[in-house]
Amino acid sequence: MTQTQPVSRRSPAPSLPRKSRQRGVDTRAGYTFLLPWMLGFFALTAGPMIASLYLSFTNYNLFEPPKWIGLDNYLSLFQDERFMQSVGVTVSYVVFGTPLKLAAALAVAMLLNSKRKGQGFYRSAFYAPSLIGASVSIAIVWKAMFGDAGPVDQGLSFFGINLGGWVGNPSMTMPMFVLLTVWQFGAPMVIFLAGLKQIPGELYEAASMDGAGPIRKFFNITWPMLSPVIFFNLLMETIHAFQIFNSAYIISNGEGGPAGSTLFYTLYLYLRGFSDFRMGYASAMAWLLLIVVGILTLIIFRTSKSWVHYSGDSK
Amino acid sequence: MMINRRNFLTTIALGTASAAVLSACGQSGTTAGKTGSAENPVTINYTWWGNDDRAERTRKAIALFESKNPDIKVNGNFTDFAGYWQKRATEAAGGGLPDVMQWDLSYLRDYGQRNQLLDLSTVNINTDAFDKSLLPSGQIRGKTYGIPTSTNAFAVYYDPAKLAAAGVAEPDGNWNYKEFHEFMTQVGTKSNGAFFGGGDYTAVWWMFNIWLRQNNMEAFTEDGKLGFTKDDLKKWWSQPADLRGTPAMIPEERVTQLLPKSAFGSNATASEVTWDNFMAGYLGDSGAKELKLVPVPSDDPDNLGLFLKPSMLMVASAKTEFKDASARFIDFMVNDPEVGQIFKTSRGVPASKTQRDGTTFEGTDKLVVDYEKSIEKYLKDAPEPPIVGFGTLESSFKRIASDMNYGKVDINGAVDAWFKEAEDIIKQNA
Repeated sequence: MTQTQPVSRRSPAPSLPRKSRQRGVDTRAGYTFLLPWMLGFFALTAGPMIASLYLSFTNYNLFEPPKWIGLDNYLSLFQDERFMQSVGVTVSYVVFGTPLKLAAALAVAMLLNSKRKGQGFYRSAFYAPSLIGASVSIAIVWKAMFGDAGPVDQGLSFFGINLGGWVGNPSMTMPMFVLLTVWQFGAPMVIFLAGLKQIPGELYEAASMDGAGPIRKFFNITWPMLSPVIFFNLLMETIHAFQIFNSAYIISNGEGGPAGSTLFYTLYLYLRGFSDFRMGYASAMAWLLLIVVGILTLIIFRTSKSWVHYSGDSK
Repeated sequence: MMINRRNFLTTIALGTASAAVLSACGQSGTTAGKTGSAENPVTINYTWWGNDDRAERTRKAIALFESKNPDIKVNGNFTDFAGYWQKRATEAAGGGLPDVMQWDLSYLRDYGQRNQLLDLSTVNINTDAFDKSLLPSGQIRGKTYGIPTSTNAFAVYYDPAKLAAAGVAEPDGNWNYKEFHEFMTQVGTKSNGAFFGGGDYTAVWWMFNIWLRQNNMEAFTEDGKLGFTKDDLKKWWSQPADLRGTPAMIPEERVTQLLPKSAFGSNATASEVTWDNFMAGYLGDSGAKELKLVPVPSDDPDNLGLFLKPSMLMVASAKTEFKDASARFIDFMVNDPEVGQIFKTSRGVPASKTQRDGTTFEGTDKLVVDYEKSIEKYLKDAPEPPIVGFGTLESSFKRIASDMNYGKVDINGAVDAWFKEAEDIIKQNA
C-alpha cells in the first residue's frame, strides 16, 4: 500500500478518477482488515456502553424491562451515604497509592539502571509481583499475611509494634491496600527503565564535570528528561487505581467491610448491580466514574504543559 | 502484537457467541424437555452453596443419582452463600440459570415472582410425604417454585468441652435474655481469654424476627410493609449493649478476621445463636467432638417465637431444556432415603417423611432431630416467602449491625440507616 501511493501521485492530471478509485479500493481493503476489530468494538464495547448509558436513566432490576426514570439515579447517588463512602475510600486510595507506587517504581528503576552483574535477574525478580499482583491468589495470600497472627502481625510484634491483624481493623485496611498496589510497581518500573536508558550519558558526565551531586543531577537531568515517561505513568496508574476491584472483592469477601473501609467505587457498583438488582443505579455510577476519570485525565494533561519537557522543545 | 492478538480473540469470542445463539434457536421446547438415554445421557447443571462438608455429601448424592439414572448426568458447582446470589443474578440476566438450584427462602420472591423459576406443579415431583403446613413456604400466588429439602429452627449452640474448661454449668435452654447474657458473661470471663462467651446475636435478622414474634409482632405486614417501628429495632440492638467490648461478646474485628469461617466454628466463642442444621458444618470447622443445642432465650416462657423454616428449597430454572430430568433430580434429592443417609441433618431435618424415616440419626445428628422434636409445642406457622428484595434487607441488617459494632455509627444512626435502606427497597419493588 505504501508503494502504490507515490506512483499515483506521480501520474498526470487525467488520472485523477483512477487515483480516487484506487483510494476507494484501499479504503475498502482497510475496512475489511479492520472488520474483526470493528465488530468486536461495536458488539463488545460500544454496544454495551450505549446500553448502559440508556440503563443509567432507568430503573432496571435485571428481570423486568427497564423503566425510564430520567435523572433519578444520578440525583439519588448524592443522597446515598454508602456512595459517598465509596468515593472517599477510592479517592484516598488513588491519592496515596498512585504517587507511592510511582515513587517506588522510579526508585527501583534507577537502581536497576546501573551496570551491575545479574541485572537481568533483578529486573525479572522485581517485575514478577506485578505479573501476579492482580490475580485472585495474591489477594488471598495478602489477606492471610495481614490477618490475625499472620506473618506481618508477627513480624511487627517482634519489633514491639502490636497492631493486631490489619484485615479486621477498619483503620488499617487502607494502608494494606496501598502496600498491595505499591508492591505491584513492575509495569511502571519497566517503562521508567526504558526512559532512563534514553537519557544520554553525556549529560551526567557534563554535570559531574561542573560539580553537580546526585541530587542535583536527579532534579536537573533525570526528572526533566524523564518527564514524558512520568506523565504517561501517572496517567495510566491514576486511571488504573480508580478501577481497583479484584483485590477489594476478595479481601473483603465481596462486602466492602470491615465497616465499609474497603468499599471501593467499583465494588459498590458491583454490589448495587448484582446483589441489590439495581442495574440502572449501577450504570449511573459507571458513567459518573467515566466522566470523573475523563475530567481528571484532562486536568493532568493541562498541567503537563508546565512540567513535561519533550526533547526538541524550544523551552 | 497485543492488538492483533486481541482482535483474534474477539473474533473467536464473537464466533462462539453467535454459534451459541444459533444452537439455542435450534432447540425445540416440549413439555418434558429433552430426554436422554443410557448411551446418550443428557447433562443437567446443579448448583448449591455451602462448605466443603456439603460439597462432599452432594458429590456422593449426585453419584448415587447417576448410578440410578444412567440417562442423566449431573454437573455440580458450588460457592459460598454471599457469592452465590451475585452469580445467580448475573446468570438470570443472561438467561442462563442452571437447570436445578439449591435455593433460599429469602430469594424465592425475587426470582419466582419475576418468572425466573419453573412452576414445579407442572412437572412430576412427589410431595405426598411432606407436611402440608410446610409446602406453602415454597409457593407464591398459587405456583410452586420451590420444594423444601428439609427444615431448620433457631437454637443456641454451645460447646460442652469449652464450658467444662471454663467451669460453667451447661444451660438447659429455659432462660430469658438476662440469664442468657449472664451465661455469656460467665463463660467469657472464666475462659481467661481463651475464647469469648458468644457473638452479637442481635446482628442476625432471623433472631430479630423471632424476638418480634416473642413480642407478638410480625416482621412484615400482609401488604409487604414493615411490621415494626424504629423503637422496636432500637430496643433490640440496645439489648446486649452492656456485653459489647467485654469478654462476653467477641469483638467485630475478630469476627472479620475469621471470615469466611464463623467465630463459633473457629473455636473463638463458646456459643452461637443460629440455625440448628449448622451442626455438621460446625463440627467439621471446629474439630469439636460434640456440640449441643438448646432453645433461644425468651422473656415470655410460653412464647419462644420459634418456627420451622425450610432450610433450603430445590428449584428449577424456568428456561431449563430438561424439565423431566430436572424434576427427577429434585424428586430424588428431597425424597430418596439414601440421600437422607448421606446428608443426615446437614441440610436440616429432612422434610419428606419418606426420607426422614429412611435415615438413621445418631450422635450429633440425633441431637438436631431431638431438638426439633423438643420444641414442637412452641412452634408457630412457618413464615411465608418474605418480600421481594428481602435478601438485600437481610444482608444490610448484618452489615449495619457490624458497622455499629465497629463504632462507626451509634445505635440511633444504625436504626435510621437500616430503615432508610428498607423503605427504599420496599418502594423500589412495590
